Amino acid sequence: MGKALMLAAAIGLLFQSHAAAQAPSDIPLNPLAPANLAKPRPKAPFDLTGTWFIDMAGSQNSWRFGPPPPANKMTADTQKHFEAAQKAQKEGKAYRDDIGQCWPAGLPLIMTRVWPIAMIQLPTAIYMVSHFMNSLRIVYLDGRPHSDPDVVVRTFNGESIGKWEGDTLVVDTTHFVNDHHWIDAGIPATDALRIVERMRMLKGGTVLQIEYTLTDPKSWEGTMKWTKQWNRVDDQEVTEVTCTPDLNTHIPSTQSEFQAR
Amino acid sequence: MRAVFFAAVLLASTSVFAHHSSAGIDRTKSVELVGTIRQFSWTNPHSWMEVDVPDGKGGILTWKVEMTSPAYLVRAGWKSTTVKTGDEVKVTVRPLRDGSPGGLFVSVLLADGRTFTERPAAPPPPKP
Repeated sequence: MGKALMLAAAIGLLFQSHAAAQAPSDIPLNPLAPANLAKPRPKAPFDLTGTWFIDMAGSQNSWRFGPPPPANKMTADTQKHFEAAQKAQKEGKAYRDDIGQCWPAGLPLIMTRVWPIAMIQLPTAIYMVSHFMNSLRIVYLDGRPHSDPDVVVRTFNGESIGKWEGDTLVVDTTHFVNDHHWIDAGIPATDALRIVERMRMLKGGTVLQIEYTLTDPKSWEGTMKWTKQWNRVDDQEVTEVTCTPDLNTHIPSTQSEFQAR
Repeated sequence: MRAVFFAAVLLASTSVFAHHSSAGIDRTKSVELVGTIRQFSWTNPHSWMEVDVPDGKGGILTWKVEMTSPAYLVRAGWKSTTVKTGDEVKVTVRPLRDGSPGGLFVSVLLADGRTFTERPAAPPPPKP
């Protein structure tokens, strides 16, 4: 019995020392860590803290991402999806409406998903919470580089790293998931997607303008660019919203035969 | 009581505060449901109601009606108590294309004569 206990203790020590040896030394302080917040940094040119809503004053194509410009040749797989989506549209059907089945919208779509977005800006990060399914997006401003691709957990909103360039916040986002993620109907996003956003504040801080540059060589050639605007909405709340398993039971259009997969 | 009255009208407004595509909805038609509220749910991301409508053959057909979120219904004057189980109502919906008993909410006429829609106020313009 005594020998067994000693053996167990020895194995425990081995695992402990093994774990310590594997721990990376470059894990950054999180954005809310007092020591990170207290680091000296230049004053930010603007503060996004507030609630924002996509400006829908123009046509639908002015605030949606898509359709893709003709100059962007699609890959064979994307072309197949795109043609299937167009066929579905002509038949009055939705093509792979993953969001309707509770998959996250993901970036960039979440930014224009016609629900307000609450943003809280700290010196170290901007936390964005969409009213739409409470999708969380974090833009790190604390100087960290992108994560090691072998370590990062890929997500629908990706990993966003922001840097100030004069009066513009330039946000680079990578590390997206590779499935159930769409730029627009029939335009899939892959794990090669990279989004660069150039954010500027206009009209005395009441309008947020973002210039988007999207590249995804697994889905299309070249870059796709859009510029969108959001209005500050002080009378709209972002509250708890979840896609519960029984939601679609009461939303008949999500279960009709007019869903093309 | 006429259970269901179909009227083909062009409807310009759209319900964009949805979590899903509305391709299954026929926006060129409206259907008037005269019946009784079976259930009303005041919840995110969508409120919804079920309306029991006499099918004209002695039976009842339950229509599932999807609505926008309470945040926008409040802006159109709604409260969670605006409709209750058992209320006699006249509900206008845009029907499903496949003909099954369901659709997108347009308006409700209550027994006391009040009408509620779900059109939220447009986001206010930025203050100068």
